[in-house]
Amino acid sequence: MCRPASGMVILLVLITLLATFSGSSVSAQTRQEGIQIPNPGADLWREVRKRQQPAAPGVKAPMSGAPGVDLWAEIEQTGRAPVGTTQIKSVDSGMLINAIGDEWRRFRMERLIPYAGYAIAGMFVFVVLFYLIRGRVPIHAGPSDKRLLRYSAYERTIHWFIASIFLFLALTGLTMLLGRSLLIPLLGPEIFSILASASKEGHNLFGPLFLLALALVFFRFVRRNIYQRGDLTWLLRGGGVIGKKHVPSNFFNMGEKSMFWMLVLVGGVTAISGVILVFPVLGQGREIMALSHVAHGITALVMILVIIGHIYIGTIGMEGALEGMTTGYCDLNWAREHHDWWAERCENNGEVVTVEDAHGAEGFAPGAPKRQSIVEAGE
Amino acid sequence: MARMKFYCDAERCIECNGCVTACKNENEVPWGVNRRRVVTIKDGEPGERSLSVACMHCSDAPCAAVCPVDCFYTTEDGVVLHDKDICIGCGYCFYACPFGAPQFPADGAFATRGKMDKCTFCAGGPLEDNSAEEFRKYGSNRLAEGKLPLCAEMCSTKALLAGDANVLSEIYRKRIVNRAGRTLQRGVSFQNATLRSPRGLQGKASTIE
Repeated sequence: MCRPASGMVILLVLITLLATFSGSSVSAQTRQEGIQIPNPGADLWREVRKRQQPAAPGVKAPMSGAPGVDLWAEIEQTGRAPVGTTQIKSVDSGMLINAIGDEWRRFRMERLIPYAGYAIAGMFVFVVLFYLIRGRVPIHAGPSDKRLLRYSAYERTIHWFIASIFLFLALTGLTMLLGRSLLIPLLGPEIFSILASASKEGHNLFGPLFLLALALVFFRFVRRNIYQRGDLTWLLRGGGVIGKKHVPSNFFNMGEKSMFWMLVLVGGVTAISGVILVFPVLGQGREIMALSHVAHGITALVMILVIIGHIYIGTIGMEGALEGMTTGYCDLNWAREHHDWWAERCENNGEVVTVEDAHGAEGFAPGAPKRQSIVEAGE
Repeated sequence: MARMKFYCDAERCIECNGCVTACKNENEVPWGVNRRRVVTIKDGEPGERSLSVACMHCSDAPCAAVCPVDCFYTTEDGVVLHDKDICIGCGYCFYACPFGAPQFPADGAFATRGKMDKCTFCAGGPLEDNSAEEFRKYGSNRLAEGKLPLCAEMCSTKALLAGDANVLSEIYRKRIVNRAGRTLQRGVSFQNATLRSPRGLQGKASTIE
Protein backbone atom coordinates (compact mmCIF):
# COMPACT_ATOMS: atom_id res chain seq x y z
CA MET A 1 0.00 0.00 0.00
CA CYS A 2 2.94 2.31 0.66
CA ARG A 3 4.52 2.07 -2.77
CA PRO A 4 1.60 3.31 -4.91
CA ALA A 5 0.93 6.03 -2.35
CA SER A 6 4.45 7.45 -2.63
CA GLY A 7 4.22 7.27 -6.42
CA MET A 8 1.02 9.23 -6.32
CA VAL A 9 2.61 11.86 -4.09
CA ILE A 10 5.42 12.39 -6.62
CA LEU A 11 2.80 12.69 -9.37
CA LEU A 12 0.90 15.14 -7.22
CA VAL A 13 3.94 17.37 -6.84
CA LEU A 14 4.48 17.34 -10.62
CA ILE A 15 0.86 18.22 -11.27
CA THR A 16 0.95 21.03 -8.74
CA LEU A 17 3.97 22.46 -10.55
CA LEU A 18 2.00 22.11 -13.76
CA ALA A 19 -0.88 24.08 -12.35
CA THR A 20 1.41 26.80 -10.99
CA PHE A 21 3.02 27.51 -14.32
CA SER A 22 0.07 27.03 -16.61
CA GLY A 23 -1.47 30.34 -15.62
CA SER A 24 1.50 32.40 -16.72
CA SER A 25 2.75 33.70 -20.08
CA VAL A 26 -0.64 34.57 -21.47
CA SER A 27 0.53 37.66 -23.30
CA ALA A 28 2.53 37.60 -26.45
CA GLN A 29 6.16 38.46 -27.13
CA THR A 30 7.63 36.44 -24.33
CA ARG A 31 10.99 36.43 -26.00
CA GLN A 32 11.45 40.15 -26.44
CA GLU A 33 9.61 41.80 -23.63
CA GLY A 34 12.22 44.52 -23.36
CA ILE A 35 11.31 46.18 -26.64
CA GLN A 36 8.98 49.14 -26.13
CA ILE A 37 8.34 51.04 -29.33
CA PRO A 38 6.15 54.15 -29.01
CA ASN A 39 2.98 53.99 -31.06
CA PRO A 40 1.44 57.48 -31.04
CA GLY A 41 -1.52 56.50 -33.20
CA ALA A 42 -2.75 53.87 -30.74
CA ASP A 43 -4.49 56.20 -28.27
CA LEU A 44 -6.29 58.06 -31.04
CA TRP A 45 -7.30 54.77 -32.61
CA ARG A 46 -8.64 53.45 -29.31
CA GLU A 47 -10.73 56.61 -28.93
CA VAL A 48 -12.14 56.20 -32.46
CA ARG A 49 -12.96 52.55 -31.76
CA LYS A 50 -14.71 53.48 -28.50
CA ARG A 51 -16.98 55.95 -30.27
CA GLN A 52 -17.82 53.40 -32.92
CA GLN A 53 -19.21 50.88 -30.46
CA PRO A 54 -22.85 50.18 -31.36
CA ALA A 55 -25.50 50.99 -28.73
CA ALA A 56 -26.36 47.34 -28.28
CA PRO A 57 -24.67 44.16 -29.55
CA GLY A 58 -25.93 43.19 -32.97
CA VAL A 59 -27.26 46.68 -33.73
CA LYS A 60 -25.47 48.29 -36.59
CA ALA A 61 -23.98 51.64 -35.68
CA PRO A 62 -25.77 54.55 -37.36
CA MET A 63 -24.07 55.97 -40.42
CA SER A 64 -22.13 58.98 -39.30
CA GLY A 65 -21.58 60.60 -42.65
CA ALA A 66 -17.83 60.43 -42.20
CA PRO A 67 -16.67 57.99 -44.90
CA GLY A 68 -13.85 56.45 -42.86
CA VAL A 69 -16.23 55.57 -40.06
CA ASP A 70 -18.81 54.15 -42.45
CA LEU A 71 -16.18 52.08 -44.21
CA TRP A 72 -14.98 50.78 -40.88
CA ALA A 73 -18.56 49.83 -39.95
CA GLU A 74 -18.80 47.89 -43.20
CA ILE A 75 -15.53 46.13 -42.47
CA GLU A 76 -16.69 45.17 -39.00
CA GLN A 77 -19.85 43.73 -40.49
CA THR A 78 -17.70 41.48 -42.62
CA GLY A 79 -16.37 39.98 -39.41
CA ARG A 80 -19.60 38.00 -39.11
CA ALA A 81 -19.98 36.89 -42.71
CA PRO A 82 -17.51 37.25 -45.57
CA VAL A 83 -19.35 39.83 -47.66
CA GLY A 84 -16.28 41.33 -49.30
CA THR A 85 -15.02 40.00 -52.60
CA THR A 86 -11.48 39.09 -53.51
CA GLN A 87 -9.52 37.36 -56.23
CA ILE A 88 -7.96 35.04 -53.66
CA LYS A 89 -9.94 31.83 -53.52
CA SER A 90 -9.68 30.40 -50.04
CA VAL A 91 -11.77 30.02 -46.90
CA ASP A 92 -12.95 33.34 -45.44
CA SER A 93 -10.67 35.30 -47.78
CA GLY A 94 -13.40 37.92 -48.30
CA MET A 95 -13.42 38.66 -44.57
CA LEU A 96 -11.35 41.66 -43.52
CA ILE A 97 -11.68 41.40 -39.74
CA ASN A 98 -12.18 38.07 -38.02
CA ALA A 99 -14.41 39.06 -35.11
CA ILE A 100 -14.32 35.74 -33.26
CA GLY A 101 -10.53 35.42 -33.18
CA ASP A 102 -9.96 37.55 -30.10
CA GLU A 103 -12.73 35.82 -28.14
CA TRP A 104 -11.21 32.47 -29.02
CA ARG A 105 -7.77 33.69 -27.99
CA ARG A 106 -9.07 34.80 -24.60
CA PHE A 107 -10.91 31.52 -24.09
CA ARG A 108 -7.82 29.43 -24.83
CA MET A 109 -5.23 31.52 -23.02
CA GLU A 110 -7.17 32.80 -20.01
CA ARG A 111 -9.66 30.02 -19.38
CA LEU A 112 -8.90 26.70 -21.03
CA ILE A 113 -5.18 26.47 -20.28
CA PRO A 114 -5.23 27.55 -16.59
CA TYR A 115 -8.51 25.80 -15.78
CA ALA A 116 -7.40 22.59 -17.45
CA GLY A 117 -4.18 22.64 -15.43
CA TYR A 118 -5.98 23.27 -12.15
CA ALA A 119 -8.75 20.77 -12.88
CA ILE A 120 -6.36 17.93 -13.68
CA ALA A 121 -4.18 18.75 -10.70
CA GLY A 122 -7.30 18.94 -8.54
CA MET A 123 -8.49 15.56 -9.79
CA PHE A 124 -5.15 13.98 -8.87
CA VAL A 125 -5.33 15.58 -5.42
CA PHE A 126 -8.87 14.28 -5.02
CA VAL A 127 -7.88 10.74 -6.04
CA VAL A 128 -4.89 10.74 -3.71
CA LEU A 129 -6.97 12.06 -0.80
CA PHE A 130 -9.69 9.53 -1.54
CA TYR A 131 -7.13 6.74 -1.50
CA LEU A 132 -5.55 7.96 1.72
CA ILE A 133 -8.90 8.31 3.46
CA ARG A 134 -10.86 5.36 2.10
CA GLY A 135 -8.01 3.05 1.14
CA ARG A 136 -8.35 0.21 -1.29
CA VAL A 137 -11.79 -1.40 -1.53
CA PRO A 138 -11.09 -5.01 -0.58
CA ILE A 139 -12.95 -8.20 -1.46
CA HIS A 140 -14.60 -8.52 1.94
CA ALA A 141 -15.13 -12.27 1.69
CA GLY A 142 -11.54 -12.71 0.55
CA PRO A 143 -10.40 -14.03 -2.85
CA SER A 144 -12.09 -17.28 -3.86
CA ASP A 145 -10.98 -20.06 -6.19
CA LYS A 146 -14.05 -19.58 -8.37
CA ARG A 147 -14.14 -17.35 -11.44
CA LEU A 148 -16.74 -15.79 -13.74
CA LEU A 149 -16.12 -14.89 -17.37
CA ARG A 150 -16.64 -11.13 -17.43
CA TYR A 151 -15.18 -9.87 -20.72
CA SER A 152 -14.59 -11.87 -23.90
CA ALA A 153 -11.36 -11.52 -25.86
CA TYR A 154 -13.08 -9.18 -28.33
CA GLU A 155 -14.41 -6.98 -25.54
CA ARG A 156 -11.01 -6.78 -23.90
CA THR A 157 -9.41 -5.98 -27.26
CA ILE A 158 -11.72 -3.06 -28.02
CA HIS A 159 -11.38 -1.83 -24.43
CA TRP A 160 -7.60 -1.70 -24.62
CA PHE A 161 -7.83 -0.35 -28.18
CA ILE A 162 -9.84 2.66 -27.09
CA ALA A 163 -7.87 2.95 -23.84
CA SER A 164 -4.50 3.14 -25.58
CA ILE A 165 -5.80 5.58 -28.20
CA PHE A 166 -7.38 7.72 -25.49
CA LEU A 167 -4.22 7.85 -23.40
CA PHE A 168 -2.13 8.71 -26.44
CA LEU A 169 -4.55 11.44 -27.53
CA ALA A 170 -4.81 12.83 -24.01
CA LEU A 171 -1.03 13.01 -23.57
CA THR A 172 -0.36 14.51 -27.00
CA GLY A 173 -3.26 16.94 -26.58
CA LEU A 174 -2.06 18.06 -23.17
CA THR A 175 1.45 18.45 -24.59
CA MET A 176 0.12 20.95 -27.10
CA LEU A 177 -2.17 22.64 -24.56
CA LEU A 178 0.18 23.00 -21.60
CA GLY A 179 3.59 22.46 -23.21
CA ARG A 180 4.36 26.12 -23.81
CA SER A 181 3.98 26.89 -20.11
CA LEU A 182 5.46 23.69 -18.71
CA LEU A 183 7.81 22.03 -21.16
CA ILE A 184 9.46 24.89 -23.06
CA PRO A 185 11.19 26.14 -19.86
CA LEU A 186 12.47 22.60 -19.30
CA LEU A 187 13.32 21.45 -22.82
CA GLY A 188 13.88 24.65 -24.74
CA PRO A 189 11.90 25.63 -27.85
CA GLU A 190 13.83 23.45 -30.34
CA ILE A 191 13.42 20.12 -28.54
CA PHE A 192 9.88 20.95 -27.51
CA SER A 193 9.09 21.75 -31.14
CA ILE A 194 10.08 18.20 -32.14
CA LEU A 195 7.92 16.79 -29.37
CA ALA A 196 5.00 19.08 -30.21
CA SER A 197 5.29 18.35 -33.92
CA ALA A 198 5.23 14.61 -33.24
CA SER A 199 2.31 15.16 -30.87
CA LYS A 200 0.38 17.08 -33.51
CA GLU A 201 1.03 14.49 -36.23
CA GLY A 202 0.19 11.61 -33.91
CA HIS A 203 -2.87 13.37 -32.56
CA ASN A 204 -4.11 14.01 -36.10
CA LEU A 205 -3.37 10.46 -37.23
CA PHE A 206 -4.93 8.61 -34.29
CA GLY A 207 -7.76 11.08 -33.67
CA PRO A 208 -10.07 9.69 -36.35
CA LEU A 209 -9.36 6.16 -35.06
CA PHE A 210 -10.88 7.20 -31.73
CA LEU A 211 -14.19 7.68 -33.53
CA LEU A 212 -13.94 4.10 -34.84
CA ALA A 213 -13.00 2.73 -31.42
CA LEU A 214 -15.85 4.65 -29.85
CA ALA A 215 -18.31 3.13 -32.34
CA LEU A 216 -17.02 -0.40 -31.62
CA VAL A 217 -17.31 0.12 -27.86
CA PHE A 218 -20.74 1.69 -28.20
CA PHE A 219 -22.30 -1.14 -30.19
CA ARG A 220 -20.71 -3.85 -28.05
CA PHE A 221 -21.63 -2.48 -24.63
CA VAL A 222 -24.75 -0.39 -25.18
CA ARG A 223 -27.28 -3.08 -24.16
CA ARG A 224 -25.66 -3.59 -20.77
CA ASN A 225 -25.53 0.16 -20.16
CA ILE A 226 -29.22 0.97 -20.35
CA TYR A 227 -30.36 2.42 -17.06
CA GLN A 228 -32.69 0.23 -15.02
CA ARG A 229 -34.56 0.07 -11.73
CA GLY A 230 -32.16 0.32 -8.83
CA ASP A 231 -29.71 2.69 -10.51
CA LEU A 232 -31.21 5.68 -8.71
CA THR A 233 -30.64 3.99 -5.36
CA TRP A 234 -27.02 3.43 -6.35
CA LEU A 235 -26.66 7.10 -7.21
CA LEU A 236 -28.31 8.30 -3.99
CA ARG A 237 -25.94 6.20 -1.92
CA GLY A 238 -22.96 7.35 -3.95
CA GLY A 239 -22.20 3.81 -5.09
CA GLY A 240 -21.69 2.65 -1.53
CA VAL A 241 -19.45 5.52 -0.45
CA ILE A 242 -22.28 6.95 1.66
CA GLY A 243 -23.20 4.50 4.38
CA LYS A 244 -21.73 1.09 5.03
CA LYS A 245 -24.40 -0.94 3.28
CA HIS A 246 -23.69 -2.52 -0.08
CA VAL A 247 -25.67 -1.23 -3.06
CA PRO A 248 -26.85 -3.93 -5.46
CA SER A 249 -26.19 -3.61 -9.18
CA ASN A 250 -26.23 -5.48 -12.47
CA PHE A 251 -23.38 -6.26 -14.90
CA PHE A 252 -22.54 -2.57 -14.88
CA ASN A 253 -23.44 -0.35 -11.95
CA MET A 254 -24.90 3.11 -12.27
CA GLY A 255 -21.49 4.81 -12.19
CA GLU A 256 -20.13 2.60 -14.95
CA LYS A 257 -23.24 3.19 -17.04
CA SER A 258 -22.90 6.94 -16.57
CA MET A 259 -19.25 6.77 -17.57
CA PHE A 260 -20.23 4.83 -20.67
CA TRP A 261 -22.81 7.42 -21.70
CA MET A 262 -20.43 10.25 -20.87
CA LEU A 263 -17.82 8.60 -23.07
CA VAL A 264 -20.26 8.13 -25.93
CA LEU A 265 -21.88 11.58 -25.82
CA VAL A 266 -19.00 13.80 -24.68
CA GLY A 267 -16.43 11.69 -26.52
CA GLY A 268 -18.60 11.84 -29.62
CA VAL A 269 -18.51 15.64 -29.51
CA THR A 270 -14.73 15.54 -28.99
CA ALA A 271 -14.23 13.18 -31.91
CA ILE A 272 -16.49 15.03 -34.35
CA SER A 273 -15.11 18.46 -33.45
CA GLY A 274 -11.65 16.93 -33.86
CA VAL A 275 -12.47 15.76 -37.38
CA ILE A 276 -13.64 19.30 -38.21
CA LEU A 277 -10.31 20.63 -36.93
CA VAL A 278 -8.02 18.06 -38.51
CA PHE A 279 -9.29 18.41 -42.07
CA PRO A 280 -9.20 22.14 -42.91
CA VAL A 281 -10.15 21.36 -46.52
CA LEU A 282 -13.84 20.68 -45.91
CA GLY A 283 -14.72 24.34 -46.51
CA GLN A 284 -15.32 25.24 -42.87
CA GLY A 285 -14.56 28.80 -41.83
CA ARG A 286 -12.63 30.08 -38.84
CA GLU A 287 -15.77 30.62 -36.79
CA ILE A 288 -16.71 26.95 -37.04
CA MET A 289 -13.12 25.89 -36.37
CA ALA A 290 -12.81 28.15 -33.33
CA LEU A 291 -16.10 26.86 -31.91
CA SER A 292 -14.99 23.29 -32.64
CA HIS A 293 -11.81 23.96 -30.74
CA VAL A 294 -13.78 25.25 -27.76
CA ALA A 295 -15.99 22.15 -27.80
CA HIS A 296 -12.95 19.91 -28.31
CA GLY A 297 -11.07 21.42 -25.37
CA ILE A 298 -13.94 21.36 -22.89
CA THR A 299 -15.18 17.86 -23.74
CA ALA A 300 -11.68 16.40 -23.81
CA LEU A 301 -10.98 17.91 -20.40
CA VAL A 302 -14.19 16.40 -18.99
CA MET A 303 -13.22 12.99 -20.38
CA ILE A 304 -9.69 13.18 -19.00
CA LEU A 305 -11.02 14.00 -15.52
CA VAL A 306 -13.53 11.14 -15.58
CA ILE A 307 -11.00 8.68 -16.99
CA ILE A 308 -8.54 9.53 -14.20
CA GLY A 309 -11.24 8.36 -11.78
CA HIS A 310 -11.95 5.32 -13.94
CA ILE A 311 -8.30 4.30 -14.01
CA TYR A 312 -8.04 4.78 -10.24
CA ILE A 313 -11.03 2.62 -9.39
CA GLY A 314 -10.07 0.02 -11.98
CA THR A 315 -6.52 -0.43 -10.68
CA ILE A 316 -5.35 0.57 -7.19
CA GLY A 317 -8.75 1.72 -5.95
CA MET A 318 -10.42 -1.68 -5.84
CA GLU A 319 -9.19 -5.19 -5.30
CA GLY A 320 -10.25 -7.62 -8.03
CA ALA A 321 -11.44 -4.97 -10.50
CA LEU A 322 -8.59 -5.18 -12.97
CA GLU A 323 -8.59 -8.96 -13.54
CA GLY A 324 -11.82 -8.93 -15.51
CA MET A 325 -10.28 -6.66 -18.11
CA THR A 326 -6.86 -8.36 -18.23
CA THR A 327 -7.59 -12.10 -17.95
CA GLY A 328 -11.26 -11.89 -18.85
CA TYR A 329 -12.28 -13.64 -15.63
CA CYS A 330 -13.27 -12.01 -12.36
CA ASP A 331 -13.35 -13.42 -8.87
CA LEU A 332 -16.75 -14.82 -7.86
CA ASN A 333 -16.64 -13.09 -4.49
CA TRP A 334 -15.79 -9.78 -6.18
CA ALA A 335 -18.75 -10.22 -8.53
CA ARG A 336 -21.06 -11.03 -5.62
CA GLU A 337 -19.99 -7.90 -3.79
CA HIS A 338 -20.08 -5.44 -6.68
CA HIS A 339 -22.38 -6.86 -9.34
CA ASP A 340 -24.56 -9.18 -7.28
CA TRP A 341 -27.55 -9.39 -9.64
CA TRP A 342 -25.28 -10.44 -12.48
CA ALA A 343 -23.30 -12.85 -10.26
CA GLU A 344 -26.50 -14.44 -9.03
CA ARG A 345 -27.70 -14.99 -12.58
CA CYS A 346 -24.37 -16.50 -13.58
CA GLU A 347 -24.48 -18.87 -10.63
CA ASN A 348 -28.02 -19.92 -11.48
CA ASN A 349 -26.92 -20.61 -15.07
CA GLY A 350 -24.00 -22.67 -13.84
CA GLU A 351 -21.34 -20.46 -15.41
CA VAL A 352 -19.00 -20.52 -12.43
CA VAL A 353 -15.61 -22.02 -13.33
CA THR A 354 -12.64 -22.94 -11.20
CA VAL A 355 -9.50 -20.86 -11.23
CA GLU A 356 -7.65 -23.63 -13.12
CA ASP A 357 -10.28 -23.71 -15.85
CA ALA A 358 -10.23 -19.98 -16.14
CA HIS A 359 -6.49 -19.66 -16.53
CA GLY A 360 -6.35 -22.66 -18.84
CA ALA A 361 -9.10 -21.29 -21.03
CA GLU A 362 -8.22 -17.55 -21.01
CA GLY A 363 -11.46 -16.93 -22.78
CA PHE A 364 -10.11 -18.20 -26.09
CA ALA A 365 -10.50 -21.98 -25.79
CA PRO A 366 -13.54 -23.58 -27.41
CA GLY A 367 -14.34 -25.24 -24.09
CA ALA A 368 -14.91 -21.91 -22.36
CA PRO A 369 -18.46 -21.56 -21.08
CA LYS A 370 -20.91 -19.42 -22.99
CA ARG A 371 -21.90 -16.28 -21.24
CA GLN A 372 -25.67 -16.30 -21.45
CA SER A 373 -25.85 -13.96 -18.53
CA ILE A 374 -23.92 -11.13 -20.16
CA VAL A 375 -26.27 -11.06 -23.12
CA GLU A 376 -29.27 -11.21 -20.85
CA ALA A 377 -27.95 -8.54 -18.57
CA GLY A 378 -29.16 -5.66 -20.67
CA GLU A 379 -32.67 -6.98 -20.93
CA MET B 1 14.39 52.22 -34.11
CA ALA B 2 11.28 52.18 -36.19
CA ARG B 3 8.00 50.42 -35.80
CA MET B 4 7.14 49.07 -39.22
CA LYS B 5 3.52 49.19 -40.36
CA PHE B 6 1.48 48.78 -43.49
CA TYR B 7 -1.07 51.42 -44.34
CA CYS B 8 -3.70 51.00 -47.05
CA ASP B 9 -5.67 54.02 -48.19
CA ALA B 10 -9.16 52.90 -49.17
CA GLU B 11 -9.67 56.17 -51.07
CA ARG B 12 -6.80 55.31 -53.36
CA CYS B 13 -6.81 51.55 -53.79
CA ILE B 14 -8.04 50.60 -57.27
CA GLU B 15 -8.03 46.82 -56.73
CA CYS B 16 -5.37 46.18 -59.37
CA ASN B 17 -3.87 43.31 -57.32
CA GLY B 18 -0.40 44.55 -58.20
CA CYS B 19 0.65 44.15 -54.55
CA VAL B 20 -0.54 40.51 -54.58
CA THR B 21 1.40 39.77 -57.73
CA ALA B 22 4.51 41.59 -56.53
CA CYS B 23 4.46 39.64 -53.27
CA LYS B 24 4.02 36.26 -54.93
CA ASN B 25 6.79 36.96 -57.39
CA GLU B 26 9.28 38.49 -54.98
CA ASN B 27 8.90 35.79 -52.34
CA GLU B 28 8.20 32.87 -54.67
CA VAL B 29 5.25 31.85 -52.53
CA PRO B 30 3.90 28.38 -53.39
CA TRP B 31 0.49 27.71 -54.91
CA GLY B 32 -2.42 27.95 -52.49
CA VAL B 33 -0.57 30.34 -50.19
CA ASN B 34 -1.41 34.03 -50.43
CA ARG B 35 0.45 36.33 -48.12
CA ARG B 36 -1.48 39.34 -49.38
CA ARG B 37 -4.95 39.80 -50.79
CA VAL B 38 -7.15 42.68 -51.90
CA VAL B 39 -10.67 42.67 -50.46
CA THR B 40 -13.40 44.79 -51.99
CA ILE B 41 -16.36 45.94 -49.92
CA LYS B 42 -19.66 46.70 -51.72
CA ASP B 43 -18.25 45.51 -55.02
CA GLY B 44 -20.15 47.20 -57.84
CA GLU B 45 -22.27 49.33 -55.52
CA PRO B 46 -22.03 52.99 -54.51
CA GLY B 47 -19.38 53.39 -51.84
CA GLU B 48 -17.20 50.55 -53.16
CA ARG B 49 -13.85 50.47 -51.46
CA SER B 50 -10.90 48.11 -51.68
CA LEU B 51 -8.24 47.34 -49.13
CA SER B 52 -5.05 45.36 -49.46
CA VAL B 53 -4.50 43.10 -46.42
CA ALA B 54 -1.65 40.97 -45.20
CA CYS B 55 -0.04 40.46 -41.80
CA MET B 56 -0.42 43.81 -40.03
CA HIS B 57 2.53 43.12 -37.68
CA CYS B 58 0.48 43.77 -34.54
CA SER B 59 2.10 45.33 -31.49
CA ASP B 60 0.60 42.60 -29.27
CA ALA B 61 0.10 39.89 -31.84
CA PRO B 62 -2.68 37.35 -31.13
CA CYS B 63 -0.87 34.71 -33.21
CA ALA B 64 2.16 34.96 -30.92
CA ALA B 65 -0.07 34.74 -27.84
CA VAL B 66 -1.80 31.50 -28.85
CA CYS B 67 1.12 29.69 -30.51
CA PRO B 68 1.60 26.42 -28.59
CA VAL B 69 5.30 26.25 -29.46
CA ASP B 70 6.06 29.98 -29.07
CA CYS B 71 7.57 30.29 -32.55
CA PHE B 72 6.78 34.00 -33.07
CA TYR B 73 9.07 36.88 -32.29
CA THR B 74 9.06 40.62 -32.91
CA THR B 75 12.12 42.18 -34.47
CA GLU B 76 13.57 45.50 -33.36
CA ASP B 77 11.69 47.09 -36.26
CA GLY B 78 8.38 45.85 -34.88
CA VAL B 79 8.02 43.17 -37.58
CA VAL B 80 6.29 39.98 -36.38
CA LEU B 81 8.16 36.96 -37.71
CA HIS B 82 8.04 33.25 -37.01
CA ASP B 83 10.48 30.38 -37.00
CA LYS B 84 9.46 27.64 -39.44
CA ASP B 85 11.85 25.20 -37.78
CA ILE B 86 9.76 25.52 -34.60
CA CYS B 87 6.27 25.87 -36.15
CA ILE B 88 4.22 22.67 -36.07
CA GLY B 89 1.37 23.78 -38.35
CA CYS B 90 -1.44 23.53 -35.81
CA GLY B 91 -3.47 26.41 -37.29
CA TYR B 92 -4.13 28.22 -33.99
CA CYS B 93 -2.59 31.47 -35.28
CA PHE B 94 -5.07 31.34 -38.16
CA TYR B 95 -8.00 31.14 -35.72
CA ALA B 96 -6.68 34.01 -33.62
CA CYS B 97 -5.51 36.38 -36.36
CA PRO B 98 -7.99 39.20 -37.05
CA PHE B 99 -6.75 39.61 -40.63
CA GLY B 100 -6.52 36.06 -41.93
CA ALA B 101 -2.79 36.46 -42.49
CA PRO B 102 -1.43 33.00 -41.57
CA GLN B 103 -1.53 30.62 -44.53
CA PHE B 104 -0.99 26.89 -44.59
CA PRO B 105 0.24 24.81 -47.51
CA ALA B 106 -1.82 21.61 -47.61
CA ASP B 107 1.26 19.40 -47.63
CA GLY B 108 0.55 17.29 -44.53
CA ALA B 109 -0.93 13.80 -44.64
CA PHE B 110 -4.48 13.84 -46.10
CA ALA B 111 -4.06 17.53 -47.05
CA THR B 112 -3.69 18.61 -43.42
CA ARG B 113 -1.78 21.76 -42.57
CA GLY B 114 1.92 22.12 -43.21
CA LYS B 115 4.09 24.78 -41.61
CA MET B 116 2.55 28.23 -41.48
CA ASP B 117 3.54 30.90 -43.98
CA LYS B 118 2.73 34.58 -43.76
CA CYS B 119 3.86 38.05 -44.77
CA THR B 120 7.31 38.79 -43.35
CA PHE B 121 7.31 42.51 -44.24
CA CYS B 122 9.97 41.36 -46.71
CA ALA B 123 12.21 40.81 -43.69
CA GLY B 124 12.99 37.11 -44.16
CA GLY B 125 13.23 34.97 -41.06
CA PRO B 126 15.51 34.01 -38.20
CA LEU B 127 18.14 32.52 -40.52
CA GLU B 128 21.17 34.33 -41.90
CA ASP B 129 20.16 37.43 -43.89
CA ASN B 130 19.67 36.75 -47.63
CA SER B 131 20.97 33.20 -47.43
CA ALA B 132 19.54 30.64 -49.85
CA GLU B 133 17.86 28.76 -47.03
CA GLU B 134 16.22 31.90 -45.72
CA PHE B 135 14.87 32.67 -49.16
CA ARG B 136 13.54 29.14 -49.59
CA LYS B 137 11.69 29.20 -46.27
CA TYR B 138 10.66 32.81 -45.82
CA GLY B 139 11.17 34.55 -49.14
CA SER B 140 12.96 37.80 -49.78
CA ASN B 141 14.74 39.86 -47.13
CA ARG B 142 14.55 43.37 -48.56
CA LEU B 143 14.68 45.03 -45.15
CA ALA B 144 18.22 43.74 -44.66
CA GLU B 145 19.12 45.45 -47.97
CA GLY B 146 17.62 48.72 -46.76
CA LYS B 147 14.51 48.38 -48.94
CA LEU B 148 10.83 48.36 -48.04
CA PRO B 149 8.34 45.57 -48.87
CA LEU B 150 7.84 45.19 -52.61
CA CYS B 151 4.02 45.23 -52.46
CA ALA B 152 4.03 48.81 -51.19
CA GLU B 153 6.90 49.85 -53.43
CA MET B 154 5.00 48.58 -56.48
CA CYS B 155 1.65 50.19 -55.59
CA SER B 156 0.74 52.35 -58.56
CA THR B 157 -1.60 54.71 -56.67
CA LYS B 158 0.46 54.76 -53.49
CA ALA B 159 -2.58 53.43 -51.64
CA LEU B 160 -0.47 50.79 -49.94
CA LEU B 161 2.37 52.26 -47.92
CA ALA B 162 4.91 50.47 -45.80
CA GLY B 163 7.42 51.88 -43.37
CA ASP B 164 7.84 53.54 -40.01
CA ALA B 165 4.47 54.14 -38.34
CA ASN B 166 5.31 57.75 -37.52
CA VAL B 167 6.16 58.58 -41.13
CA LEU B 168 3.07 56.76 -42.42
CA SER B 169 0.72 58.48 -40.00
CA GLU B 170 2.15 61.85 -41.05
CA ILE B 171 1.42 61.04 -44.72
CA TYR B 172 -2.02 59.81 -43.71
CA ARG B 173 -2.68 62.99 -41.75
CA LYS B 174 -1.74 65.18 -44.73
CA ARG B 175 -4.02 63.23 -47.03
CA ILE B 176 -6.92 63.52 -44.60
CA VAL B 177 -6.38 67.25 -44.10
CA ASN B 178 -6.28 67.80 -47.85
CA ARG B 179 -9.46 65.85 -48.45
CA ALA B 180 -11.33 67.53 -45.59
CA GLY B 181 -10.12 70.94 -46.77
CA ARG B 182 -11.45 70.32 -50.25
CA THR B 183 -14.78 69.20 -48.84
CA LEU B 184 -15.14 72.34 -46.77
CA GLN B 185 -13.97 74.67 -49.50
CA ARG B 186 -16.14 73.37 -52.30
CA GLY B 187 -19.14 72.31 -50.25
CA VAL B 188 -19.23 68.91 -51.92
CA SER B 189 -19.39 65.47 -50.42
CA PHE B 190 -16.24 63.86 -49.20
CA GLN B 191 -16.25 61.23 -51.89
CA ASN B 192 -16.67 63.75 -54.69
CA ALA B 193 -14.04 65.97 -53.13
CA THR B 194 -11.36 63.42 -53.71
CA LEU B 195 -12.10 63.48 -57.42
CA ARG B 196 -11.99 67.23 -57.93
CA SER B 197 -9.06 69.51 -58.32
CA PRO B 198 -8.20 71.26 -55.07
CA ARG B 199 -7.30 74.55 -56.68
CA GLY B 200 -7.97 76.91 -53.80
CA LEU B 201 -6.18 74.77 -51.26
CA GLN B 202 -3.65 73.19 -53.53
CA GLY B 203 -0.65 72.07 -51.57
CA LYS B 204 -1.49 74.16 -48.54
CA ALA B 205 -2.44 71.53 -46.04
CA SER B 206 0.06 69.06 -47.31
CA THR B 207 2.91 71.51 -47.09
CA ILE B 208 2.49 72.10 -43.36
CA GLU B 209 5.64 70.76 -41.86
